[in-house]
This record gives sequence, structure tokens and C-alpha cells, in this order.
Amino acid sequence: MRVLLLEDEDLLRDQIAERLRKDGYAVETAANGADGQFAGEEYPLDVAIVDIGLPDISGIDVLQAWRKQGISFPVLILTARGRWEDKVQGLEAGADDYLVKPFHMEELLARLRALVRRSSGWADSVLSCGPIQLDTSSQSVTVNENRMELTAYEYKVMEYLMLHAGQVISKTVLSEHIYEEELDRDSNVLEVLIGRLRKKLDPDKTLNPIETLRGRGYVFRLERSQ
Amino acid sequence: MLSMNARLLIAASIVLASFLSLTGLALDKAFQRSVKNGVEERLKTQIYLLLGASDLNQDNELRISSRLAEARYATPGSGLYARVVDKSSAVIWRSDSALGLSPPFQATSELGEMFFSEVMLDTEEYFSMSFQIAWEINPRQQEQYTFQVIESKQSYNTQVNGFRRSMSGWLAVAALILLAVQGAILRWSLAPLRRLANEIVDIEEGRSESVSGQYPAELSSLTRNLNALIHNSQQHLRRYRDALGDLAHSIKTPLAVIRTSMQTGQADKGQESVTEQLQRIDQVVNYQLQKAAASGRRALSTPIEVQAVAEKILNSLDKVYASKSLSLEMEIEPGLRFNGDEGDLMEMLGNLLDNACKWASKSVMLKVYSGTIDGERSIGLLIEDDGPGIPDQRLQQVLKRGGRLDSNVEGQGIGLAVVRDLVEELYLGRLTFQQKQNGGTSILIEIPQ
Repeated sequence: MRVLLLEDEDLLRDQIAERLRKDGYAVETAANGADGQFAGEEYPLDVAIVDIGLPDISGIDVLQAWRKQGISFPVLILTARGRWEDKVQGLEAGADDYLVKPFHMEELLARLRALVRRSSGWADSVLSCGPIQLDTSSQSVTVNENRMELTAYEYKVMEYLMLHAGQVISKTVLSEHIYEEELDRDSNVLEVLIGRLRKKLDPDKTLNPIETLRGRGYVFRLERSQ
Repeated sequence: MLSMNARLLIAASIVLASFLSLTGLALDKAFQRSVKNGVEERLKTQIYLLLGASDLNQDNELRISSRLAEARYATPGSGLYARVVDKSSAVIWRSDSALGLSPPFQATSELGEMFFSEVMLDTEEYFSMSFQIAWEINPRQQEQYTFQVIESKQSYNTQVNGFRRSMSGWLAVAALILLAVQGAILRWSLAPLRRLANEIVDIEEGRSESVSGQYPAELSSLTRNLNALIHNSQQHLRRYRDALGDLAHSIKTPLAVIRTSMQTGQADKGQESVTEQLQRIDQVVNYQLQKAAASGRRALSTPIEVQAVAEKILNSLDKVYASKSLSLEMEIEPGLRFNGDEGDLMEMLGNLLDNACKWASKSVMLKVYSGTIDGERSIGLLIEDDGPGIPDQRLQQVLKRGGRLDSNVEGQGIGLAVVRDLVEELYLGRLTFQQKQNGGTSILIEIPQ
């Protein structure tokens, strides 16, 4: 998942970013409204965290500018003001959720996961497609209730494909949402990852959860159970 | 800017001046008219007098008896002159008064008509009266004569000037009296304003706390609202002061705990208690901030449309709780207004509805209606959810707690405590909880309007 973190307080931004990376996010950071707005317009984001009180442009304005251009990734606003007037103003401007400072990091992560899930149409924190279940809170995958041992990147690929189950995901899109740095065009890292995933999830080749569409990308084939 | 006193005085003075000068003008005209009429009558009489004194002599020539009843004809330069001319304008007779003078006698062509006119010769002005008559000498012979009388305008001018002098004197006196009366009226009518200004100065300088005197109807709503504003700001000030005091006091205990934990330096236990105390500080700050931000009922504020505010809150919560797919419903009396601050209403609805959404399993209901408390008009906000309900013990904790938040409090209680303070302390209303039979909580706020 690629997340934009727009926060002007350096220490807080670094801490949140570090925690997000640890949790498997590819993180873009911006310290002021102008940079933040640009990042939101340029990068393929899954979710954004926007602080309302920025030094140059208010977070609300940044948010409104995005929404006016039809940019629709979910946005979580951070605010030091806990009055409902402020919350309502933020949500009316196009935010999807708010968090009042100071907050617990766990709370922020849970809200982010919920936003990402919601934006791809999943209500529950556990995504299940047939015998495969992916728990977004514990970041674990089970097949027929057997827990799989996945590496961090294997999990990221799995999560992204399952969130968008049924949709064709190109290699570019997949790498953009998983890696912070741009991947080399000729790299076969993704093929290797997918191959390892197939082996782990479906050693007998009976489920065939991930299909390769030549020249187009991958698609998670199992039906959503929800 | 011109003072009200000056404006009124200037306007009234202009009206007064134009009224008085028009009056003077009209009186002057009327007086001149009547004096002129008098002169005309008098000159006619003179003509008749001359006619009466005329007679024919043996040669059938017109003669004026030398014994005229008007003495001024006998005095040269007296100002009254007369002559008689015949058809060929030859002077038949002239009064002794015209001796050595040539007053501008006026001819007339109308037979049997008195002809009155004003004449000017050099700088002298005259009134003139001429009368042409046909004198029958015998049945076959008629002679035409013109009788001409002329009077200097001097006495007329003296009369008119005398009148003008006395009139303008009286008008001036009237103007002075009217001005004085007007000034007095102004002073009297503007006295309440002056008094109000003085009272405001007193308030500014701290000698007084409110506008206390009795004021006329036009000002009473102003003073009432002024008092309400002053009261509001004093209340605010008091609330800020209290909140600040409470804040400082209630942060001191956790700070003390943190300091001791740091100094004793027990690794695990110390960090745990620091985290706990930080959370406590956070809660205290939140609570006091929200409390201080509440405005209460303000003077001169427009009542708030409840529907619009409720919709905003419900739309927001709909977004935040999207994954729970709750049914959020509202039933609001159309056009119902809340007499208070919009932010406060949002705070009440927001906190309670947020709690309701948090605990509800399927549905949250908001009803807003008008009612009465103790015979006074009130507004009722009813929030219902179908969740497990608030445990009685927690409820008591929240409700029993006073304004200060020194002791430990559960995090979720803060929203409720803020609403309770808003309703009961700021809006003098009531907050009632009810656990429903089939689970769920209903919270009713009643606020007098």
C-alpha cells in the first residue's frame, strides 16, 4: 500500500513514517501543503494522512483541491482540534475519517487499514476468498485454516491482489503500490514473488488463486466470500 | 461625525429660519397692500373734494373755490399736489402747493374712470390719481376736464419702514424663544442617550457591572442586549478562568507522578505509569478545551436551524462508521430552531451520536422536537441506539462527577461529560438517560428556549 503522509511536525512525521514502513506501507512524505498537494496529484496512492494545521496551505484546502480534480483515494485527517465543528468541516471537505491529536499509533494504523479496505469494498478486517483468508490486522494468511509463513513482500503482494480480487493488476501498478523505490523495468522480482506465493498457497495446484494474464498483469481469481 | 445634537439643532434651525422669513415676507406684502389701498381711497376722496369745489363762472369757465378743505394744497411743497387741465392740456387750475414745482401729473383717456398709478420722477416717488370728466355747460355744449392729484410716497414709505422694523423685532424675539425651547426639547429627549453613554463609561472604567437605569422604549432593547452581552462576556471570562485553574490543577497530579517515576527509574513500571499519566493529561486537556470552547447562549445571535446541523453530523458519522453499515435516521420537526450556539449544538449532537454509533449494533435514531419544561418553551433532543447500553456504574461515574476532572476517568466518558456540562451548566437544561428494555440506551436532552 502506498500512503502519503502530510505532516509539518518533523519528529512526528518521521515517527509515523517509520512505523508505517514497519507495517509494510510504501510511504511518501510531505512537510507542507504545496508539496503534499503535488504528491497527491502525482503518485498512485492508496490512502493519505493529512494534518489540518499546515504552515502554508491548510490541509482542508489541499483535500478540497484533490477532490475537485476527482482524486478519490481515502484521506484520514489529523487535527489538534477536537470540536465537532472542525471534524464536520474536515469530513465535509472530503475526508473519510479523522483522528484527534494526540493519538495512539495503533489507532492510526487500524483506521488506515479500515480506509484502504473500505475503498476496495471490503467491510471486514478479514478478507476471505474461498479457502483463503487474509487478516489485515494481524497481517496473516491462512489457507483452509492453515497459517502460511509469508515474507513481508509476499504478504504485501497478496494483500494488494486480494483487496482488488477480480481486477486485473498490471505489474507496474503492483510495483508502484508495494515498493517505495521505482523498480527496474527488466526486474523479475515480481514474477519471483508471485511464483513463491503460488507454491506456498497452492502446492497441489488445485486452487490456482493467482492467474497470470500475459502482457496485462495478474488477477486474483477466487470469489469474495463476503 | 456630527453629533446627533448638532444635527437636530442645525435641521431645526434651518426650518425655523425659513419659516420665519416666509412669515415676514407675507406679512410685509399684506401690509403694503393694505396701506396702498388706503392711499388710493384717500386720493379718490381728494378728487371728489376737488369736484365738489368746482363750479362754472359767468364765462362758463371752470373755477375751483380757493377755500379747499385740504390745508396741504395751500402749503408749497407739502407733498400733495393737484391740478385741473382741459381738453387741450392747458392748465386751468393748480394747487398752491405745486408752486415752483413740476410734479409728474398723469393724464388719462378714460372718461369717468379713476386712474391710479405709481410714478417716479428723478428719485422722488409718487402716487397719482386722475379723473376725466365731461362738464355739460348747456344742453348743446360739453367741456372735458381732467382732475389730477398726486401725492409723494414719503409718508407711505415711513409707514412701511416702521412696520418692518417692529415686525422684524418681534420675529427675532419669537425666533430666540423658539430656539431656546427647541434646545430644551433636544436636551430633554437626548438625555437618556447621554445617561447611557455615562453608564457605559462607568462600565468601561469598572465602576459598574451593568446598565441599570430605566430607559425609554426605543432604547430598552438596546440596553437589554447590552446587558446580556456584558453578562455573556463576564460568564465567558469566568469560565475561561475556571477552566484554566482546573486544567492547571488537574495536570499537576499526573506531572508529579511522572516526575517521581522518572526519578525512581524503575524501567518497566516507570514507563507504564508515565504512559498512563500522559493519557490522563491528554484527557484532562481535551475535556477542559472542549469545555472552554463552548459558547453558551449569546445575546443577539440568530437561532440555528437544527435540521441542517443534524444532517451535517449524521453525514459525517455515516462516513466514519461506513464499515458498520448502520441505519442512521432522524426525525426533526420541520423548521425547528435552536436558540444558542451552532458549535455547542454540534458538540452535543456529535458526541452523543458518535457514542451511539460506537455502541449501536444496527440503528441509531435522532428525534428533535419542541416541548415545554416547567411551562417554558423548550427543545428536546432524543438519541437512541440499539447497543448493549451503558453499564450503570459507568453512568453514575460520569453523571456524579463535578466540573473538575481530577480523579481517574474512563476515556469514553469525556464526550458525555462535556455534553452534560454544556446542557446543565450553560443551557440550564436537563440530561436524562434511560436503559431500554430490549437493550440500547436512550439519551434525552431538554433545553429551555
